[in-house]
Amino acid sequence: MMTMDNRQLLAGLEREALVCGRCGNCRSACPVYKAVGWESASPRGKISMAKEIFAKGRQSSLTGDFARRVAQCTLCGACARDCATGIDTRSLWLELRRRLSQAGQEPQAYDSIRDNLLSRKNVSTFDNEDRLEWAQDLDEEPEHLDRQEGAEVCYFVGCVSSFFPQAAQIPLAVSQLLMKAGVDFTTLGGEEWCCGFPLLSTGFVDDAREFARHNVAMVKELGIHTLIASCASCYHVWKHDYQEGLDGYDLEILHTSEYLARLVREGRLEPQPLDEVATYHDPCDLGRNSGVFEAPREIIRSIPGVSFVELEHSRELSLCCGGGGNLQSVDPDLSAQIARFRVEEIAASGATVVVSACQQCEQMLSTAIRKAGLPIRVMDVSELLLEAVD
Amino acid sequence: MEKNEALLQIKHLFGERATDASFERALYARDLAPVPALLVDPLFRTVPDLVARPADAGEVSAVLKLASAAGIPVTPRAGASTVYFNTVPARGGIVLDLNLLRGVVELDEAKMTVTVRAATTWGELEHYLNARGLAPQSVPSSAPSASIGGWFTMMGYGIGSVKYGSLLSQVRAAEVVLPDGEIRNLTLGSDPPLDWFAASEGTLGVVTGLQIVIRRNNPMSHYLLSSPDLGEIAGVLAAVKDAGVTPYNLHFTDDACVRAMHRQGIAPDGVSGGCLLAIDYEGAPEELAAAQQTVESLVAVNSSVSLLPPEAALEEWDERYKSLKLKRSGPSELGGEVWLPVRSLLSYLADIEQLARKLRLGLCTYGHVASPERAIVMTMFFADETKVFDYIIGLSLVKKIHDVGYRHGGYPYGVGLWNTPYLGRIFTKGQLAALRARKKRLDPAGILNPGKLYGWPPLLNPLFFAVGMKCLAGIGSLRRGGDR
Ligand SMILES: Cc1cc2nc3c(=O)[nH]c(=O)nc-3n(C[C@H](O)[C@H](O)[C@H](O)COP(=O)(O)OP(=O)(O)OC[C@H]3O[C@@H](n4cnc5c(N)ncnc54)[C@H](O)[C@@H]3O)c2cc1C
Repeated sequence: MMTMDNRQLLAGLEREALVCGRCGNCRSACPVYKAVGWESASPRGKISMAKEIFAKGRQSSLTGDFARRVAQCTLCGACARDCATGIDTRSLWLELRRRLSQAGQEPQAYDSIRDNLLSRKNVSTFDNEDRLEWAQDLDEEPEHLDRQEGAEVCYFVGCVSSFFPQAAQIPLAVSQLLMKAGVDFTTLGGEEWCCGFPLLSTGFVDDAREFARHNVAMVKELGIHTLIASCASCYHVWKHDYQEGLDGYDLEILHTSEYLARLVREGRLEPQPLDEVATYHDPCDLGRNSGVFEAPREIIRSIPGVSFVELEHSRELSLCCGGGGNLQSVDPDLSAQIARFRVEEIAASGATVVVSACQQCEQMLSTAIRKAGLPIRVMDVSELLLEAVD
Repeated sequence: MEKNEALLQIKHLFGERATDASFERALYARDLAPVPALLVDPLFRTVPDLVARPADAGEVSAVLKLASAAGIPVTPRAGASTVYFNTVPARGGIVLDLNLLRGVVELDEAKMTVTVRAATTWGELEHYLNARGLAPQSVPSSAPSASIGGWFTMMGYGIGSVKYGSLLSQVRAAEVVLPDGEIRNLTLGSDPPLDWFAASEGTLGVVTGLQIVIRRNNPMSHYLLSSPDLGEIAGVLAAVKDAGVTPYNLHFTDDACVRAMHRQGIAPDGVSGGCLLAIDYEGAPEELAAAQQTVESLVAVNSSVSLLPPEAALEEWDERYKSLKLKRSGPSELGGEVWLPVRSLLSYLADIEQLARKLRLGLCTYGHVASPERAIVMTMFFADETKVFDYIIGLSLVKKIHDVGYRHGGYPYGVGLWNTPYLGRIFTKGQLAALRARKKRLDPAGILNPGKLYGWPPLLNPLFFAVGMKCLAGIGSLRRGGDR
């Protein structure tokens, strides 16, 4: 019901902090509060402190303790969903982090992330030119993988899938599926820069804009009109934060699950039976924060023999995996604790495989499931589909 | 025992689950009400010395034993969704943050009861039960944040109460830790009886578990009525309430409130003023069919009343836990919540309108019918807490709202600290004496949530309070250039 117009009307951290009614709906929804337990870790607690500091000018309250709490957030958006006064809390957290970085109060880890990104253009320690190294594991490398002008589809691979071997299964699966379906696709190769989300979420908004400008310029240069991303955060950023830079340029932005579901619907991919009990974990940036719930489920349901069970909290109500908002870089234990909450639900579902649509969720859940010693496979939706199509 | 020694022992016992860090304690010094430090600090010590998070009744008991021995005040706190400083210490001491006491212990579908730990929220219980085709009988409109124990120790009326009664009538048993640390299972027949703890606002014991009666999650139907004529809407409300099929929820919004919603862009499509009446039913298909006839026939005979589209009615229902949404027009809200006889609703609203004209202030009213006789009515106005002086003047106008309520047979809903000046309106002398006797018996040292419920602090005594508020209101009137 809360329209964008009246959100903008009253935009601004100061005003929003005053609008907060401290009712605590957000606190009940927050995975960080659930794990930490102190009021200062709850969204309403953080907003209360932000109100004192920014709306009431008590700068002396801008302490390291406060900065630490602000960093303890996965940006999962559950608080925004439940906010009784319609505060776009996710944007508020980003703005708070920006203020902290302006005040030089950001955690050290954020500076390391920024320095690395500015020098390498990706979140890893590898050279950005090596972006396509994962493709060497393909039996047959697609013809136009590196910056093909006018390709039907551009696959924005994302830093983690490009550089971290554990996540490489995702681009491998996506590429094989696209090839099987006969899609003419390309990537930005070494000109793909980080989507900018790690900068945005650590408060370095101007730097993030520069990354966005670069990626948009590359897409325009290649004359691309359909872009797909398998990383839920890259997708979210392209869909929401790049619009200004796109400036009306005709670009269809889809998550790989949406595009693959389309290929299945069109009969260009034909899944064969698999014997699995599958459940689906909604990544926050794809589901709650972008509204894509159906496509991954459609793919799972399209596979004969797979019996699908929902988790206790799913779709809008889905619980975070703990891996968002750069939390892992500042508080890995807290991240892991949040993943454990999710894994408890996964274990209770009786699934043999938990499917997701985000490499970060996959990594968090895999680690937690391994530590819990559970016989459950964790897969990206593209990997499951490839298994069924192969 | 020395106070510091007791605090040290609790810290030792709780480890990381207790803190005396000032950064953390500061957040326990307020609830929803942003009352300026200027008013609070000279009167009360709201920052606790220690916050402890017990994991079970045994730990609650350990804290209470040590606190009793050392005479340290203990303030229980769960959802902290109250507004009268109910969970805010008046005299420092320990805040018992109960939020680790969470989860469903046992569901008994044969007996249709569920046993929960006290800080489980209504939202969590609703989610758990709904997944099994069941539901709580009633919930507060703060369900996502309010705890089951918290609502029990408050008034316990909300959504569903008009059909199923107060929460007290649904509680079969409770585990309570008494101020001396004794852990007891209480029922209506025990000594002390369970009902002593309902509406005791954390002053008699700490509730750690409850067994409550539940219902089937029946199909529902929703209606949203609109009318420019307050009289006709009030008539429909009374008729619906007393009709053969009792509604599950009956919520009204007055014209000023609907206009404010419209300005904010959150009124139903096409509605820019007039009153709204939301009527929600749950039950068997025959009941829902009968209810539909009732509503349709009432709409037919009340010419000013129109039935809004079903989507609007559903949206109103879906937004039931977001009653703070209008606060966006503030940014702050001030107001009085009145436990009002339903029959006085019309005359109350007429007087509120007059008061609004006199003060030249937009007074918005909404509320829900809580029982066949009473409604919980909120009359509020917008304010800005950053303008401290005006905000304090605004606080004085809250008393004027309560005075209107009182003239119509109403009184404040809940006491805490800030409503203690109205104790004489809320309770008869006999009732108050009985309450004080209970307190004296169970908590002779007065360690549990002191300063609340039983008496007013010296500077809030009704006479000082009335004079003080009158002076402030007078200053406010002068600043407005005189009232009309
Ligand atoms: C938007 C909104 C809507 C609301 N709607 C309603 C409504 O429909 N009906 C209604 O009655 N109220 C309503 N309230 C007020 C409040 O939310 C309820 O009274 C709620 O039930 C309080 O629960 P809590 O867990 O937040 O309690 P808290 O605020 O934490 O505590 C309330 C009181 O109970 C004591 N207490 C808490 N837990 C325990 C325990 N386990 N044992 C002993 N003492 C305890 C505390 O010391 C305090 O005195 C509303 C508030 C808001 C903000």
